[in-house]
Amino acid sequence: MAGEHLTNDEFFKQLANLFELNRTKGHGSVYLTQKRFTYRNVQLPSADKMIEDPLWDTYHPEQPVPVLIRASNNDSSKRAGTERKSVEKIKISTVVQPDQIEEFYARYAEACKAGMSGLKKRDRKKGKKDKKKKKGASAETKV
Amino acid sequence: MYFTSSTEWYEQASLLLKARPSTARITSKYTVLKPTSSKIRKRQKYASKRAHSTSAGDAGNPTTTPQPPAEQDAQAPSATFTLKAYDPVSGCCLKYETNKAAEVGRLIASLGRLGKHMAAMKEVTTDFSVPAGNAGIETPAGGDSDVPMVDVGAKGESRGDVPQKAATGGGGGKKKKKGKK
Repeated sequence: MAGEHLTNDEFFKQLANLFELNRTKGHGSVYLTQKRFTYRNVQLPSADKMIEDPLWDTYHPEQPVPVLIRASNNDSSKRAGTERKSVEKIKISTVVQPDQIEEFYARYAEACKAGMSGLKKRDRKKGKKDKKKKKGASAETKV
Repeated sequence: MYFTSSTEWYEQASLLLKARPSTARITSKYTVLKPTSSKIRKRQKYASKRAHSTSAGDAGNPTTTPQPPAEQDAQAPSATFTLKAYDPVSGCCLKYETNKAAEVGRLIASLGRLGKHMAAMKEVTTDFSVPAGNAGIETPAGGDSDVPMVDVGAKGESRGDVPQKAATGGGGGKKKKKGKK
């Protein structure tokens, strides 16, 4: 990963940017990754030890560990004869401290819901169907 | 491998995280694609077929046949949201894909719970004694009330795992889970 980790606030701004870019482009992807932030915080055992004790990873660490969140878009290169433009890959990342996880994910959910506008909305016809189903289901449970 | 229900995916992913908390990672991908020409053709074919069959059905018994949906533009780009839990050491890969906007809130909430697993926070307890998909199978098909409920769960996460689970479960599952905890 090139570059520094962003603060959570800055990360959300950039994430909104990524989604916006994707929207204006009309196609493409946004990748989001989360994993335990182990660099410098957790000492991984040596390879020999890992083989010796395959369950080394399941021991609960004493202290909560931060979580690393990454986001990126896909780069694309210009292709002759199509509308495709060359797009640079943008990579952003942030580290979420354990005590901020809940707050972070609440904002994260909002950001993603706002950003993923291309997904299918619930259409009215389906809603009607569901209501019918629900009625049927509730009638069944009452019986 | 792909899962068909998000609850199932969540359960398996959290098991994977339990087994390999420091190497497993979760990648989610939101992708928008222009349909290929063959996809466009398929859509057009489907639309025409559908219009034909529903009109025939309407003639038979007009009350029970649902109205044809607002036609999807055959050229419209299709978007999907894919969740992937992957552990590079064991090579285990769990996937779930959706194209429904209504599910995003719920899925991110489950990512948040998995994030707590990753952070090794102590209060995370997941009750796997509840049979897989007990309430979960019903939730994807849930009605309009589903979305706001998930929102409440995501915001009220500070109260721990229990209220959120109950919120996503909904209906009959609610009582059962509350009784267990």
